[in-house]
This record gives sequence, C-alpha cells and structure tokens, in this order.
Amino acid sequence: MAVSQRQKQKAETKKFLIECAMEQFANKGLTATRTADIASAAEVSHGTIFLHFPTRERLLEEVIEEFGSRTAKRMHELIDGDCTLEEVLAAHLKGIGECEGFYAALISETAVLPEGARNALIMIQSAISHHILQVAEREMDAGTIKTMPFDLLFNTWIGLIHYYLSNRALFAPEDSVISRHGQRLTDHYMNLISEKGGF
Amino acid sequence: MKICIACGMPMKAKEDFAMGDESKDYCKYCARPDGTMQNYDEKLEGMTEFIVKTQGIDQEAARNAARGMMEKLPAWQN
Repeated sequence: MAVSQRQKQKAETKKFLIECAMEQFANKGLTATRTADIASAAEVSHGTIFLHFPTRERLLEEVIEEFGSRTAKRMHELIDGDCTLEEVLAAHLKGIGECEGFYAALISETAVLPEGARNALIMIQSAISHHILQVAEREMDAGTIKTMPFDLLFNTWIGLIHYYLSNRALFAPEDSVISRHGQRLTDHYMNLISEKGGF
Repeated sequence: MKICIACGMPMKAKEDFAMGDESKDYCKYCARPDGTMQNYDEKLEGMTEFIVKTQGIDQEAARNAARGMMEKLPAWQN
C-alpha cells in the first residue's frame, strides 16, 4: 500500500512539474527556459526535476506530448461524426486557445528544437489533420468545398493560424490571438476554400 | 478514455475501436481487415503515408517522425 501511495504521489508531482514547465515555456520560450527556472516556479529543488525527467530534452518532449494529448482529447470531445469543417476548425482553435502561449512558443521555435520535440509536433498535427481530413473529404464529395490536394488544404489553414500566433505581440498584444482573431481567420479560410465563395 | 496502444489515438465511440469491440486496446486504423493488430512495419508504413498525404512532408522525414512516435507507444516497446 505504501508503495502505491508513493507512486501516486510521484505521478502527481510529475504532472505538477509538467504544468509548471508548460507555463515557464509559454512565458520565457522553449529554448530560453532553464530547468532551474522550472524548479523555482514549482518550488522544488533543481535535482527533483531530474528525478522525474532524465534530461531537459525529455522534459520538453513530455510537455509537448501533454499539450498534444489535451488538444486531441478536446477535439474528440467537441466533434462528432456529422459536424462541419467549420466546427472542426473551431474545435482546433479551442484546443490551441487553452494553451495559447505555449503553442505559440512551440511553433515559433520549432526549427531550433531537438528532433524528439519536432517529431512530437508533427504527431500533434497528424492527429489534427486526421479530423480535418475526415470532414474535408466528405465536404469535397458533396461539393461544398473546393477539391484540392489535402496537404495544401491543411497547410494553408496551419500557415494562416501559425502566422498570427507567431506574431502575437503584433496581432494581439497582451491578449489572446485566438479569441481576438480566431473567428475572423476561420471565416476567411472557409471563404477561400468554399466552392460557392463568400457566405 | 482509452488510448490506442499502437497509434495513440483517443478512442471515444464504439466505432473507434477495432471491429467496434471496446475490449480491444487498439483502434480501427491499427487493425487489419480481419481485426488483428497491424505489425510494426505495416503501422510505420501506414503512419508515414498518412503524414505525407496530410502534411506534405518529405517521405523520409515523415518516416523518421513516425518511427520516433511509435517508440513511445506501448504496443512497440519490445
């Protein structure tokens, strides 16, 4: 029993450290945040971090994976078999909006991150694109959106969202890009890919 | 919510599971037509093709990312 209590506590501490790390990464950037900053924010000793994560790199990967599983779960909760593409995009933005600072830092620094972290981001996008693909194929067949290569359909959306997020200081200083511009960007994107144009 | 052991997808509805069987630990995308789970090579290939199709990433870069992700999933630990 004592062991299981200890394991439970260990898992809770790890979860808490991931939470603190996500916040620090959001505020200071993924590259600039030191493990000592995370320890200090969590009010634990520096060594405690390494009891839970063998390396800083592994800690970063686990934070990205945690963000990914939250976003994936959020999309699964919000969308069902017959929702529209617009609803899927709204669910995507909602998921991002819940950890906007972290995601903005992640996409702004992707090119300089270790391979494991970059792969974790590709896997997040893979889960998102899976949802978008299912609905987009149906809407292309129905003729409501234009037929186009799927990678371009997805990357055009991601490109638009990422441009605004990676320039948050310009588009929404001290505010959320998603809540300030999300609806407008979604409307614009739908307008671009919609077969009938304008709505 | 159960998570597919082979690809990491959350499985919410009955139809997300292989053969619609909620006792299974893997999803419909990781099952072969007969309901058994795909092997490592089949999954790696399928995941790579999916990344190329949906994100337009270079084939080798996509395979590398898929390999990296599979390393962390319970089904591919051995």
